[in-house]
Amino acid sequence: MKATTRLSRAAALAAVLALAPATGALAAGDAEQGRIKAETCLGCHGIPNYTNAHPTYKVPKLGGQHAEYLVAALKAYKAGQRGHETMHANAASLSEQDMADIAAYFANAE
Amino acid sequence: MNKAIAAIALLAAASLPLSAQAGGDAAAGKAKSAPCAACHGADGNSAIPINPTLAGQHADYLVRALQEYKSGVRQNPIMAGMAAPLSEQDMEDIAAYFAAQDGLRTPVER
Repeated sequence: MKATTRLSRAAALAAVLALAPATGALAAGDAEQGRIKAETCLGCHGIPNYTNAHPTYKVPKLGGQHAEYLVAALKAYKAGQRGHETMHANAASLSEQDMADIAAYFANAE
Repeated sequence: MNKAIAAIALLAAASLPLSAQAGGDAAAGKAKSAPCAACHGADGNSAIPINPTLAGQHADYLVRALQEYKSGVRQNPIMAGMAAPLSEQDMEDIAAYFAAQDGLRTPVER
């Protein structure tokens, strides 16, 4: 019985620790810094109905998107897990802090 | 009565340009989007931060994302499974439905 309790406590602690880094990175996102860092992004994502030249489709709207998803997307572009040359190039130079700041900006941008 | 007419007019106005662009049927897409709701919200406004909000997103971007999940260009085990059985028409219908919902926006540079 005691062993079970100890085990489930350990599991709970492990779960908290596993979640902590992601939550911490997000909490540190500074929307004002992000607004400045997002200037490049707005060249495409700040123009209504702006169309990606190749392949042809409209670049996604980012205003109101979840910060956590945006960070995950930027990481995937940086790692080359999402096939888009321009986004790979843009994300490659971003630090985790840059990503968190930019994501915080877009999450609340009108 | 007036409300019903206004609603129909709004629906027509909202769905016509989308149909023209993507060939998607928003009404059909609503029915087909049922499996999406658990993770992305019934109207595409996701309540789970790691899952993107789809409401208001450009239809052609959503179609592109589904195509890339299906082909494996964009790697996500859950979305690969969801996109696998979808036809092009299914993708366009689902995209038309989410694009017509109120949600994401294009931020304006200040």
